[in-house]
Amino acid sequence: MRESTLLRVDDLALHYQTRRGVVRAVDGVSFELRRNEALVVLGESGCGKSSLAKLLMRVLPRNIHHTGGRVTLGETELGTLSDERFRREVQWSRMAMVMQASMNALNPVVKVGQQVAEPLRVLRGWSRARALARAAEVFTLVGISTDFMTRYPFELSGGMRQRAVLAMALVAEPELVILDEPTSALDVLTQASIMNALKRVKRELGTSFILITHDVATSSELADRVALMYAGQLVEVADAGDFFNEPAHPYSRMLMASVPRLRQRQRPEAIPGQPPSLFDPPGGCRFAERCPHRFARCARDPESIRIGERRRVSCWLFGDDRRDHGGRTEGGGT
Amino acid sequence: MNDSPMAPPPGRGMLRDLRHMLLYAGKRLLALLFTVLVGVYLTIIIANMGGQVDELRLVQIRSQASEAVRADPAFQDLTPTERNELIARQVSQEVERLRLDQPFVVRSVDYLQRAMRLDLGRAEQMHSDRGSREVYDIIVERLPATLLLFGSANLLVFFVSVFAALFLSRRYGSALDRSVIALAPTSAAPGWFYGIFLILVFAFVVPVLPAGGMVTAPPPADRWEYAASVLRHMLLPLLAMFLSSIFISIYSWRTFFLIHSSEDYVEMARAKGLPSNLIERRYILRPTLSPIITSFLLMLIGLWSGAIILEQVFNWPGLGSLLFQAIGHRDTPVIIGGVVIFAYLLAVTVFLLDILYALLDPRVRIEGGRR
Repeated sequence: MRESTLLRVDDLALHYQTRRGVVRAVDGVSFELRRNEALVVLGESGCGKSSLAKLLMRVLPRNIHHTGGRVTLGETELGTLSDERFRREVQWSRMAMVMQASMNALNPVVKVGQQVAEPLRVLRGWSRARALARAAEVFTLVGISTDFMTRYPFELSGGMRQRAVLAMALVAEPELVILDEPTSALDVLTQASIMNALKRVKRELGTSFILITHDVATSSELADRVALMYAGQLVEVADAGDFFNEPAHPYSRMLMASVPRLRQRQRPEAIPGQPPSLFDPPGGCRFAERCPHRFARCARDPESIRIGERRRVSCWLFGDDRRDHGGRTEGGGT
Repeated sequence: MNDSPMAPPPGRGMLRDLRHMLLYAGKRLLALLFTVLVGVYLTIIIANMGGQVDELRLVQIRSQASEAVRADPAFQDLTPTERNELIARQVSQEVERLRLDQPFVVRSVDYLQRAMRLDLGRAEQMHSDRGSREVYDIIVERLPATLLLFGSANLLVFFVSVFAALFLSRRYGSALDRSVIALAPTSAAPGWFYGIFLILVFAFVVPVLPAGGMVTAPPPADRWEYAASVLRHMLLPLLAMFLSSIFISIYSWRTFFLIHSSEDYVEMARAKGLPSNLIERRYILRPTLSPIITSFLLMLIGLWSGAIILEQVFNWPGLGSLLFQAIGHRDTPVIIGGVVIFAYLLAVTVFLLDILYALLDPRVRIEGGRR
């Protein structure tokens, strides 16, 4: 819709078939991402964040029950591409991914430099020397000495491995990089330096990022936009500043209230209750059960309601028609 | 190996690798030699029943000597005392020859020395078909038959199952996959069990193949006819062994590949958009090559012991039945000879494996040398 929309996701769904029934891991997710923008997808464990990432990259497990929705990258409607064309034309060259548990994402018996250069050699048919020279560039970009290119993964520390995986994601200069919990296994200092590397990459290469995380504090460093996911659905999508300062959806507010902050007297508060099971989730608003502002209308599936230019919230509190809303307590931001 | 343009001083990494390798190989060689030594010595003690066999041997020598003296007409007119003296002299000669007068501990060390030098000595009762009493000749005569049959059966099972398993792991949950899993329990029955049925069907009900033996009697003079005859005789035992192990083997390799194809780096390779044959080669087979080669080599040396019952059922002149007979006859030198050769084969294989691991897996090569 805007001049520089890079990725457009409409009503995306991914349901798994399991022995206990169908799991609706991703259930009607829509968002947009502009070029050179970083979207942070926030959410608790098991809310479907990683499934969303895997669905976008088409690296899915075997037990798929149903997928649906439209994904448009630039001008390309990805759903129309066969697996083979997707692999040749989109995967890694236009859209790359840093997986969760990327500590083990490197082949233990192949030298790190070779692995980083591999996509160029295989997908673009570059010569070994050319691919390695390019790999050396991205090594420098993400802040690892090129000496480590001739090392094996087990000779690298966790932080360096993470950077090497990041280098691998950037090597083919993709327009979009999806990062699935890229720093959650690392110590705070390493986390910070990797976030800095990401910021530098974003600034220098103009890459767009989707950063999937449960870590509110770290994500705020990079985020331009925030999408909050709950039980397979996006409950709020907003600019980062707006989201962090004035969360709108009751879940957003409670989530922000649960994050401890420096120089603040207020004690962080936990959100009571548990997210609903994704086996056969309840109808209506999925957060209703834990929501202090619940009212009659919440029994109906909430619409995605636009607030201002750049914010969408799936909550009836923001509906035009609030007649049947009982005792709503005003509780905007802080 | 260090072929990247920005490798730190070229060749230094290679030199480092080489030094680590040599150090590592040397250490392993010493450890293995010691292992063989201990293994062989234990066998010597056990096969001699800790010296008990010597007592039996002494009794045997005595009775043989007195039999011989009594049966010999030349000694008919000796007085009983003279005769007993003669017998005692003969016994003590034999005891001296066999050095039975020395304590077992001393002789066991002597045995060990000879065994380690592969000087296997003479059999006590058994002999080769050509009449030799040398343990070496007896074993070597049986070796080709065992290697031929068990070698081809195991190679066939190994390669068929690895490739079938790779194929199935890609089609996890398909009808083919499920039927192979369902067939896996057929391996509960041993090869000779299938052998009996195969003989019944193909040698008697529909007599198209020979029931046993390795070659027709008399053996054909022409080399090609001989080979064809051996091949016809091999077919049933080969099939029996194949049937009894193929499904469980496919099943276990399939599970192995399934586990390794869900490694994070394999998923990463998929996300990288690499073609699936490359993923299979570089991300599944290559990192798991060490265990695959291990099981391959262990299978190869497992051939050494043959298979006792299967050889009996098919009347196959292999090592399994030889060792079985040797145990029955308490023919210690043959038993020890068999074990010594096996110990050496095992040690050589393990050494080879250690070197291969180091070549295949940088974690072993670099860490192992550093320690």
